[in-house]
Parts: sequence; structure tokens; C-alpha cells
Amino acid sequence: MPATAENSIVGLPVEVIQIDRELKKLWASGEGVMTRASLINFAVYSEAADSLGKNTAIISQLTENHACRAIVIAADPAARENGIEAWISAHCHVTRAGRKQVCSEQVSFSVRGEHCALLPNIVFAHLDSDLPLYLWWQEEFRPPLDPQLWAWVDRVIYDSQTWRNFDEQMKLVETAQEEARQRIVLSDLNWIRLVHLRLALARFFDHPITHRHLKEFRRVEIVHAPGFHSTALLLVGWLAGQLHWDIAGDDSPTLWISADNRSREIEVRLREEKGEPISACKVTTDSAEFRIEHKPGADLLDVHFGRVQGRKMQQLLPAGKNTVVELLREELMRGGPHRVYLRAVSKVRELM
Amino acid sequence: MRAVPQPCAIVIFGATGDLTHRKLIPALYNIAADGEMPPAVAVVGLARRPKTDDEYRAEMEEATRKFSRQPVRDEIWDGFARSLFYQCSDFGDEAGYRALAGRLDKLDEESGTRGNRLFYFAASPDQFETIVENLNKAGLNKARQGSWARVIIEKPFGRDLRSARELNRVVRSRFSEDQTYRIDHFLGKETAQNILVLRFANAIFEPLWNTRYIDQIQITAAETLGVENRGGYYETAGALRDMVQNHLLQLLCLVGMDPPTDLRADSIRDEKLKVVRSLRRFKAEEVRTHVVRGQYGAGTINGKPVPAYRDEERVDPNSQTETYVALRMWLDNWRWADVPIYMRVGKRLPKSSTEISVHFKRAPQVLFNRETETIEQNVLAIRIQPDEGVSLRMQAKVPGTSFRIESVKMDFHYGTSFGKASPEAYERLLLDAMAGDPTLFARGDEVEEAWAFIDPIEEAWSVKENAPKLCTYPAGSWGPEEADELMARDGRSWRRL
Repeated sequence: MPATAENSIVGLPVEVIQIDRELKKLWASGEGVMTRASLINFAVYSEAADSLGKNTAIISQLTENHACRAIVIAADPAARENGIEAWISAHCHVTRAGRKQVCSEQVSFSVRGEHCALLPNIVFAHLDSDLPLYLWWQEEFRPPLDPQLWAWVDRVIYDSQTWRNFDEQMKLVETAQEEARQRIVLSDLNWIRLVHLRLALARFFDHPITHRHLKEFRRVEIVHAPGFHSTALLLVGWLAGQLHWDIAGDDSPTLWISADNRSREIEVRLREEKGEPISACKVTTDSAEFRIEHKPGADLLDVHFGRVQGRKMQQLLPAGKNTVVELLREELMRGGPHRVYLRAVSKVRELM
Repeated sequence: MRAVPQPCAIVIFGATGDLTHRKLIPALYNIAADGEMPPAVAVVGLARRPKTDDEYRAEMEEATRKFSRQPVRDEIWDGFARSLFYQCSDFGDEAGYRALAGRLDKLDEESGTRGNRLFYFAASPDQFETIVENLNKAGLNKARQGSWARVIIEKPFGRDLRSARELNRVVRSRFSEDQTYRIDHFLGKETAQNILVLRFANAIFEPLWNTRYIDQIQITAAETLGVENRGGYYETAGALRDMVQNHLLQLLCLVGMDPPTDLRADSIRDEKLKVVRSLRRFKAEEVRTHVVRGQYGAGTINGKPVPAYRDEERVDPNSQTETYVALRMWLDNWRWADVPIYMRVGKRLPKSSTEISVHFKRAPQVLFNRETETIEQNVLAIRIQPDEGVSLRMQAKVPGTSFRIESVKMDFHYGTSFGKASPEAYERLLLDAMAGDPTLFARGDEVEEAWAFIDPIEEAWSVKENAPKLCTYPAGSWGPEEADELMARDGRSWRRL
């Protein structure tokens, strides 16, 4: 039976040159009992000290739903000594039918010093052929980004919530995307964090009866947790991008938006408060109020709609979870080119 | 029905060389261990250095323990070693051949090898003529009534059309074509043989195997290794001669050939020959457009820094030898009209992988003509080495309420699908030679036609002025950018391995 990786166990140490051979042995030992599966190459890059164990635990959970060849890289570019170590492991999960184990393989690397420049070679050498390459970049991007590597990436995953300078980072990502001469999909976990809230908000206006309210927005109030200002801005960017708003002015924490060819002004207020990343979003129009609340720890969004002098409605909708595994699951399940995200980003950059 | 390997004496010229150590003796041992060896086989190693049979056996045991695909079992090795002998002789020494003839006669009597002789030329090609002539003088090229004499020749089969013809002339002067077995170990690989089965034993592929449904074919032979200790040889060969002229064109033949009328060796080889003949020859000025040559610079492989080609041992510091070639080719026949065939071969690439991929034309976007969806091509990938197998990429709907399409891969691995390990290519080919089945060996005319395709490229590269550029690429990368551009000009890209 293969050595399965559980939680923070990185796996079996192997010589870098022997990785393929050892992987073969790993699968040969579990023949008949398990099925190796892979739909994507999922490369993870981190420079955090304890990242290998943490990322292995994430991959272990992620592979329950998304079979992949995981390439987990822990880099320490500042290390004085150069070095590279590798491990292999398998993440096995019993199928829904309950008969066979479906396993994903993971190749892990600890790279130190100048060997960190080997990243493209490490990734290229261990890809499962024919499958797309998703690169989850857990660090801030630093120039110059290696065009050789980027030319191979189909989807780059990052979390803009952790960025110190959104504009600068986004420019780097866009430059890499252009240099790579291929369509790289940008996947921002910060954007995925908003998915259920965006769905709930959009659902208000799906019905033709409520559609007209889109033209009557007067005020938007967003309550975000400390550290999630960028998440709130993305939400504003989404509204602005989809409703063709222009950013008229920044009077923090209030933003001024002009809509309908500057014929209408909308006030957007951002407020910081402990709780979920976005704990509330209230949209006030001329004749109605739309309110979404996400109470701390709740897995449902509390959605309210009410006319100023009329009927009130309430609905509970899925809230999702703000854990990295859930965000990744959501992203891998949804996919797509994220064109709406790009429009939102463009608006956020106007705000910067 | 497979022909049965017959009792014989196998004489290896170059008995102490690398090929014998790494491939031939381990392959013969594995044949014995698998119970495939005919009842009476004697192996005689012939080389210049003096040593006894026992010394040679000890040396070969060490090599086999190191290079055999299966662990060496003492009891099997002991039996195998008893049929292993050493004959000390210079290739040019006539007396040595007379002694060899005497020893073979004696082995016929003692071991029952029945006068059958299989001469394996594991020596440098410049020695072939000497060996052939001396075999003739000793009467070893002609078998007794009811017996046979065959010769196996290792590549390179010449270094251009002229030398290939000369080599064929030399060999044919003493051995007929049906006595001559030109070994191309790629053809001995299970997956190479499986190409014919896949194509002609599965009704679903052959109807689609033409220009109407196939968009392009890619053939890749990538290796992480550099020139190792073969710098001297490689300087005279280069990737085009070393890999494309033989291995990769042979693979192309298997992919591109029409169904043979029957499974006789010559029926199959006739069809292969037609493929090489229909390869569009490049004019000198076209080489620049359709061929990219590259040479690796310093870089990193498997976490270790490696030197540039020009810094390797026995390599000219100003060498113009290519370690990478990418080609865009066409087969001018009805089946393959307008289907580009892209071939790339390179050393010091990020991973070792040899495969053929057949890219089918895209499905019409009628159903899925949505802004958000890009329908990928179906790709049938035939992995020759390592991890032999076949995979088919197709499109599937992602579960959920949205209509999202993703590529998925159906994968067949020889290693896990069949409980039995695939024999090494040399095992299969040695057995075929013992059985007198030349199907998986290259015929003289195939070799000459392949050189006729290669020569104009080599000639274009060798001109003194305005020769096509020798591009460089860092070791550990996927080759020069110009090779990517070759594909990009056609709106395509190399398959990701």
C-alpha cells in the first residue's frame, strides 16, 4: 500500500532524480486496491517556514473532491546554503460508491538558497502530461516573473487579501499574463470569498419586478472585518463593473460613485467591524432596501428585502466558509475565465 | 503465430563495450530468466583484451546485476553463465576468426547450437567492413545446409546517404538482405509495437486516421541526460543523425503507414518505406523555415547544475553540433495531405519522455458556442517511454448546474494494466533475430530513404555562410524559443509533457 499523507506528514523522502521511479513503485504497491486519479497539475509555492506540512494538509482535504497531481514547493530563497529535498506521497479517499480508493499523488520539495531559481525546472519536470497546470502562489509576486514558467500556467491562484499593494501586484500579474502569450486565468481567492454574497445580492435583482431597482441605487453600505478592506473593495468593484458605474471620488471611508452618465450619485460606505470578512451589505434604493447579513460562524446568509412602505421578505442562502480549503474547492469547481473579476479589478484599480 | 527462437551461437563483436554491459548481456539473461531462451544457446563475446571465460563471466555478472530489469537469481545466472564464453581477438586478425570458427564448431557439438550463427556488431561502424571481410574469409557468413547465419547491425547506419549506401554495399557483399538485421531499439518497445495494434485492431481509430479528422501529429523524444561520456561520438552525429534519422522516423512510419496486406515482415516494411518516401524533402532555403536546431547551455536538471554542451568532455568549445532539433514536416500522400507533423528531440530537457500525440480536429462549436468555453482538441497520446501506455484526452461536463466543459484524460498504463513487466526492447529484438523475424528491424532501403530526407537539412546547416542559426537553450528548459515560435506561426503549441 502506498504511504498515504495524512495531515502534516509530507511523505516518503526521495532523491530528486528518483522521483518518477519512486512514484511508480508507490503505485505498484497499491495495485488493485486503488485508482490513481488526476484532473489537474496543482502546483503550490510558498516561502513560509512551516508551509510544507500545512499545504500537505490542505492538499489532503482538497483531493477529496479534486483529484490532482500536487507539486508542493517550500522555498527559502534567503537561506545561506543551497539545497533541495523531495518527498512523495499519496492522498487516498474512498469513493462515494465505497469500494475503491481514489488516490492523488503529491511531490513535495524544500528548496533553499540559489536553488529557488530552479522553480520552472521543478515544475516542468514533474507535470502530469496533458493536464492543465494550476499554480497557487502564496507569496506576493516579485519582479521579474519567469516568463518560461508563466507560459505553462493555465490558472494562477492567489489571494489579493494578503497583498500590501494591490495595484502593484496586479500590474505584475498582468505583465506576466501578457508575456506568457497565452490565456492565463487569474483566480483570486479574495474574489471567491465573495461568491455567495454576490450570488445572494444578484438574486435580488434577477426577477423582472426587481430589475428596475438597479437604476435606483442611492447608497451601499458594506461592513468588513479588519484586514478585509480589499475584499470590500472588490465587492464595490464588482457592482461598479457590472452596473457601469464610475468612481467619482474617495472620501474614505465613503466613496462617491456616479452612474447613468453622471446623472446619479451613489454613496458607498465601508465600515470595519469584527466578524466575517463581509458581515453585512446593505443596498438602499429610492423605494426599497436590500440587506445581507453574515453572522459570525454562520453557514447561512440572512437575506432581507423590503419596500419602504410595503412587504418585507426574508430568505436564508448558503454562505460558504472562509477557509482556504473551501475557497479552493469553490474555485476549482467553478473555473471559468473570470471576466467579471477582471472588470471588477479594473474598477478597484481606479479606486487606488 | 510468433516465430520460434532457434538454438544458435550469438557472437558479440565489442564484447567489453558499453552496449554489451548495459543492454545485450542483461537482455539475454532476462530472456533466460523468463524461460524464453531456446534450449541451446551459446554467447561468445569477442574483443581484443585478453581474459578467460571465467573472468568474462564475472564481469558480465556484475554488469547484469547492475543493469538487469529484474533481480538476478543465482541459480538462473549460474546456468546462463555456463553458456557464456570469451574469445580474444583483434577485429582485423584473420587467425582470430579461424579460432572463432573452430570454437563455434565445438560449441555446436557440445551445446547443440546446430551451426546457427548470430553475429552482433556492437562495435564502431568503421570496423564493420573489417569484421564482414574476416567473417567471409573464415567462411562464417555462409551457414551449413539446414543452418543459418545472420548479422545484427547497430546504428548509426551511416552518417549520410552516401555512407549508408556504402555500408549497405559492404554488408550485402557478404550477407544477403534477409540475413541482415538493422536494429533500432525503439521498434522493440512494447508501445511501438502496440501502435499497429491500436491502429489496426481497434475499429474506432482507423476511420479517423487521416487528414479529414486529424489536425496535427507531434512526436517528442525528450531526455534529461546530456551527452554523458559520448561527447566524442556526439560531435560527429548531433540530434538529427542520432535520433531523428532512425528512431523518430521509424515511429512516424508506424503512425503514418497504411494497413499492410498481411503481417509478413516485408509487407509491413513495404508500407513503412512508402511513408518515408512520401516525406516532403526540404530545399536548402526551406530548412530555415521548417527546422530549428539548438544546443544546450548551462542550466539545472533535477536540482543539480549541469554544464553547457560546449563544456562537456571531448566536445569542441566552439561546437556547432545540435543537441535539439524541432521540425515541421509533411507526408505528401492522400491520407496525410496538409496534416503537419511536428517532431522535436532534445537533450537536457526537464524530463525524459518519448511519445507520439495525435491531435484531432476540434468539434464544431455549434452546441457550445459560448464566450466562456474553449473546446480543446481530442488528443491520443502514445507514450513510448517511460511509463509506456496510451491516453485519450476528451471533453467532459463539470458536474453542477452550470454548463462548464473541462478536459479529462483516459489513461492506460502497461505497468498497471498487465501484471507482467514489459520486456526490454533488446530482449524482444534478440529473440526475433534468433527466430528469423525481421519485422521490427529496419530494411536497407528504409534506411537510405531516411537519409535522403535528412541529408538536405545537414547540408543546409553545414554551409559556411548564412547557415541557419544554432539557437541555445538553458539545460532544464523545454528547448529554444525559436521552436515554440515554429509552432506559434501555425497557431499551435507543443504538447505539455
